[in-house]
Amino acid sequence: MVGSILAGAVNYLPFGWGLLMDDILHFLPIYLALAAAILNLVRRQWTLNLISLAVLFISMIPPLLRILPTPLALILPFTGLMVTLILYLTLLNVGGIERIHLFRRPTSGEIFRALVGIFLITILRVFLPIIQQAIFPQVSLSHLLLSLGLVLVGLLQLGTIQEPFYLTIGILTFLSGFQILISALEFSYLLEALFVAVNLLLAIVGAFFIVKNEESKQHE
Amino acid sequence: MNNTVLIWIALPLLLGLALVTIQRFRRLSTILATIIPLLLAGSALLFSGGLNLQIIGRVFTLSDSFQVFGRTIQITADQLRILALLYFLCFLWNLISGMFDVGRWFNSLSLVITALWGAVQFISPFLYSAVVIELIALISTPLLSPRGTPARNGVIRFLSMQTLALPLILLSGWMVSGIETSPSAESLVLRGSLLVIAGFSLWAGIFPVHSWLPMLTEETHPWIITFLQTIMQIGLALFFLAFLNHFAWLRNLDGLTQVLKWIGSLCVVSAGVMLVFQRKLSRVLGYIYLAGTGYIVLAMASTQQGPLELISLMLLPLTFSYWSLGFTFSALRQALDSEILDYDELVGLVWRYPRISILLVASLLNSFGMPLFSLFPSRRIILGIVATESLPIRLFISVGILGMVLMLLRLLSVILQPPPDVGQDKVESPLLVLPVALILLLMLVGGLFPQFFSAPLNGLLVSFQNLLK
Repeated sequence: MVGSILAGAVNYLPFGWGLLMDDILHFLPIYLALAAAILNLVRRQWTLNLISLAVLFISMIPPLLRILPTPLALILPFTGLMVTLILYLTLLNVGGIERIHLFRRPTSGEIFRALVGIFLITILRVFLPIIQQAIFPQVSLSHLLLSLGLVLVGLLQLGTIQEPFYLTIGILTFLSGFQILISALEFSYLLEALFVAVNLLLAIVGAFFIVKNEESKQHE
Repeated sequence: MNNTVLIWIALPLLLGLALVTIQRFRRLSTILATIIPLLLAGSALLFSGGLNLQIIGRVFTLSDSFQVFGRTIQITADQLRILALLYFLCFLWNLISGMFDVGRWFNSLSLVITALWGAVQFISPFLYSAVVIELIALISTPLLSPRGTPARNGVIRFLSMQTLALPLILLSGWMVSGIETSPSAESLVLRGSLLVIAGFSLWAGIFPVHSWLPMLTEETHPWIITFLQTIMQIGLALFFLAFLNHFAWLRNLDGLTQVLKWIGSLCVVSAGVMLVFQRKLSRVLGYIYLAGTGYIVLAMASTQQGPLELISLMLLPLTFSYWSLGFTFSALRQALDSEILDYDELVGLVWRYPRISILLVASLLNSFGMPLFSLFPSRRIILGIVATESLPIRLFISVGILGMVLMLLRLLSVILQPPPDVGQDKVESPLLVLPVALILLLMLVGGLFPQFFSAPLNGLLVSFQNLLK
């Protein structure tokens, strides 16, 4: 619905601008989701990470609306938002929600992770037409960019981080990317239900890890 | 409740969740978690001959399929033996779980995990089982990383690996979905096979992606990790057989047998070599599982030339071998009050804890598949089929076995040393002689009379029609 309203508004713009806006509206949520995933990879501030996670899941709505009916397209983003809420409430209970320091000087590790993330997305963007042609001809380029981009950033997060909270975010990012891809390939209610269960369990495991780590810190 | 899916999958899941509410009453929870899987295993065996059963004049008839989200899950009478094996395994581990400090989640979650491993074998389309395996990994987390300790690297790596395997398996099915109608698409078959093998390697912790295995055995209570790893190894072995049974393109792939042989022998040799250099008994357990996975993969390769029954021949002795290892390591951990069981703590063990020491040596000999012990008959057949063909594979397996023997000799040299004078040790209970004698007797009986362990599993794999020769 949101997509059709925006598309309607675009029709009133002059011809060239309309196409450009159409393109921007098409790719904006995708780049927003990828930027949120990279922010989660780079920054280590729990509040900021939760906001990025919420942005990531909200940005998935327009690409999913393009391939699925509205109720089905909302399953993954809503589950993701529930997961974010569970993590937020857990962090609130252990006193982990702090003020965001947006302009704090980035560390060398953060710069490294940001560069690797951007490099991976760029490489993916370059080779995307080949990947599409060879493996996923029925999936659109923008959809592939979002799904494989999230898979790559999630993988990078899983490979570079040991902290349980970021492991949870890494797995969530990785699985979301894969879910977006599989929803373009085949849709099954059973599979969707199983993925919802996995995502919610992942939130519980993440909350369990956060509480456990705080408890063991207090013991020390 | 006259449906196989409801009785053997949904009911235990619900009962497992119900046990969570009474887990504070440890003894009651343990008793229920022992009785429920025993009843489920027994009833599964009773109905495995047919879903119509007459007991004292009353006829019980069960239906074999159930609809969930538009998909049909089916468990036929033939397949009930698989569930009987899984629930028997759950029963074995819950039976004496009260002896060890395994935490209050063990009883309830072990039942839930067993029910989910049962579901893995029967969900349709069966590739969706990959998501259930991810669910199992997540549910295992409270057992692998109990409260009071920070989350360590082993559990984090375990979760990462299990998650990475999920897309590989799901995509493999999609990638070759049209292969039956176009059998000439070789590149698709190759791609699909690679995805399947990579997915299973990540799940089972096959060399070289096994690093989480020794880390996890080091971090977790032996009784818990032996349960989780044993049911996982057996569950994955049966799931891989389902893959082979279902997908003709995978079953008939040229070179699959050879690839499986190489994977299996690499697992055995890497486990053997790494075992020599270990100084912590808790990590030794991880490498024993790696070698066990290797032998299962070799058995899968052997079934291409030999009978499928070879797999069922090895499953019960393997379960028993892991159970005895879990018991020994847990008893040792309790006696020494040590989590990692460093070799320095084992100096003079024979003089301090003779019964546990005997059990330790016997359990290790058994799990290495040495002659006279229960795993020997199946290992001998596997090696007879696999190792006679290729010299490098023969060499790899020999080096692996040599490594295991060297590890055992090294351990013997430690435990036979005179005990250090470090104050008062705990006194070994004289009653321990009973379980030790019973376990030793079962090991030897299994070695001398292989049918003792193989007979109960007759017909376990009859549902894999395409694999039966």
